[in-house]
Amino acid sequence: MENKLKEEARKLLKEGKVDYIVGYGKGTVKFRTSPLITNKEEDIEGLVINPFIANNLSRYPAEIKGKLGIVVKGCDSRSLVSLIQDNKVKRDDIVILGVPCEGVVDIKKLVEQIGADIDQVKEIDKEGDNLIVKMDGSKKTVLFGDVIFDKCFGCEYPTPLEYDILLGSEVSPRVELEKSLKKIKEFEDINAPERWRYWKEQFSKCIRCYACRNVCPACFCERCFVDVNIPQWITTYGSWQDNLVFQLIRTLHVAGRCSDCGECERSCPVGITLRSLQRKMVEEVKGLFNYETGVDKDAPPVFTHYEATDPEEFIK
Amino acid sequence: MGYKKIKKDQLNTFLSELSKDYTVVLPSRSGGQVVFAPWDGKNTDFLDWYKNTIIPPKALFFPPVEEMFRFRKGEEGYEIEELMPDKRQQIIFGIRPCDARALKIIDMLFADTYKDPYYLRRRENSLLVGLSCNEPCDTCFCASLDISPGQSEDVDILCTDVSDNLLIEAISEKGSNLLSEMSGLSDAGSEEESKAKEMRKSAKEKIARQINLSGLQEKMRSNFENREYWEKASKKCMACGICTYVCPTCHCFDINDENRKKEGKRVRSWDSCKFPLFTRMPMENPRHEKWRRMRQRYHHKFEYYPMNFGTIACTGCGRCIRECPVNVDVTEIIGGI
Repeated sequence: MENKLKEEARKLLKEGKVDYIVGYGKGTVKFRTSPLITNKEEDIEGLVINPFIANNLSRYPAEIKGKLGIVVKGCDSRSLVSLIQDNKVKRDDIVILGVPCEGVVDIKKLVEQIGADIDQVKEIDKEGDNLIVKMDGSKKTVLFGDVIFDKCFGCEYPTPLEYDILLGSEVSPRVELEKSLKKIKEFEDINAPERWRYWKEQFSKCIRCYACRNVCPACFCERCFVDVNIPQWITTYGSWQDNLVFQLIRTLHVAGRCSDCGECERSCPVGITLRSLQRKMVEEVKGLFNYETGVDKDAPPVFTHYEATDPEEFIK
Repeated sequence: MGYKKIKKDQLNTFLSELSKDYTVVLPSRSGGQVVFAPWDGKNTDFLDWYKNTIIPPKALFFPPVEEMFRFRKGEEGYEIEELMPDKRQQIIFGIRPCDARALKIIDMLFADTYKDPYYLRRRENSLLVGLSCNEPCDTCFCASLDISPGQSEDVDILCTDVSDNLLIEAISEKGSNLLSEMSGLSDAGSEEESKAKEMRKSAKEKIARQINLSGLQEKMRSNFENREYWEKASKKCMACGICTYVCPTCHCFDINDENRKKEGKRVRSWDSCKFPLFTRMPMENPRHEKWRRMRQRYHHKFEYYPMNFGTIACTGCGRCIRECPVNVDVTEIIGGI
């Protein structure tokens, strides 16, 4: 896949079909990749595709001027399609390089499984369904399916739905929805005061770095409501109540646009379990409107469109 | 005073003794992250797993949110209720050499022309017990900034983990006075001392990441207008505030009055030059584009701070590299200038 990507990316740049390639390069932190954005053919050799390509790159097309060749996994492609539906990205301005994705490794889970610090790990190789983790003088084998992100368990579209060039053969979806929603379902069973206590604790940790908002492709407001200070909507400092309000409004704003890519939770430096909020909204939108984000670029976005059959029980 | 030691499984008694006169704050796991928190009186297992916290110890002195005072409009003008930090003495146990240096660096600012009473009172009431790094992280580059992961002049007491023992060394007078009052410590032998020296040396050698600082300030000044460089460097940046908030030396803050009718409070909170709203309240943020904001952050740390205080405002703790969602790496950006 990696070689095919390099070949196609070089061709796109050489033929002038795109101004930039947006893909993944080797990171400077162990077992992390980093967005590689370039207009130079000599940088193409640095492109990688491996089980660590966590970032959702579809945030970039709305920001970088010119035509882009962009690498996307299944979930990322849905973010991109959603942006096309919202007229934030023009389909003709991008060449989509699709990566059929078997799942992305969650380093936190991997560390837990091997019971060692990531700094002790020298090499990780994927062999079939296993990851071979080489450490100083020892080796551990973990099941790939045990260390991927929760979102990957329930991924119904691992192969991008929208692409110009598919870089590998299609991957069949994992049917482990239960595993993907496990934490959320468990949470729903807890009584309301306990849930409230839980979120109070979570949002007390928030330092308002806004990484969740800034990495989110669906958060595309030109000026976020929290950055409006005349009048001020919420305080600029992080009381847990205001942190919660910020996140709830964000959650509602991106409902119907969230592809469950999980970048909000992955990026949160203090480990707030943000994906459960977003994922819950994915369920709600599907249940109420039978709508899935970013699966059809020609469909109108769910909340800009009215159907006579739309549920209206809330109007009393 | 020579080196003292205590068996690691006896650390409990040492900490209990300290807890009599001080609030002991040490690394603990809470809500899925590692934070400095008041000791629970039992657990000392952090020695087995602790590397460093994500939120730096600056937060213990300069908290993310702080009420400065409350006010109320009375008949004869405003009544002010002061809200100064309490006077209880605290011990920060387990601070890493890089983070202790970071406090020294921001001391210069908080004790400059305007003496910040909130920060300084907490600093005066605190004693730092450092913990040497035997196993630095992959992201550490403190050695390039004249910091040795195994040594520190910036703490009051330094502990080094030497197999079954913690070797304890008084660094400041304050530290020396405290140690002389402590029971339960024994004198360390020369064998242990040389073992500690060895560990310190090997810890420093383990640090592979470097940052190139040679002629940096000159290079930065001539590169300032190089828009192409900064646009490229900032291309993948998501413009969030993680790097500034996990940085042990970033110290910018915002101040807001929150009032309702006749009463209110003045609150200070962390602010980040990576945000478009930064400095917008007084006038306007002159740095509209992302690349200008990124340039500002690096110039502040590596050019303006040395101009103002004679030291670089970076300690090589590596938090910004590790926590950045897109892996923007300060060593690459500074090295590329």
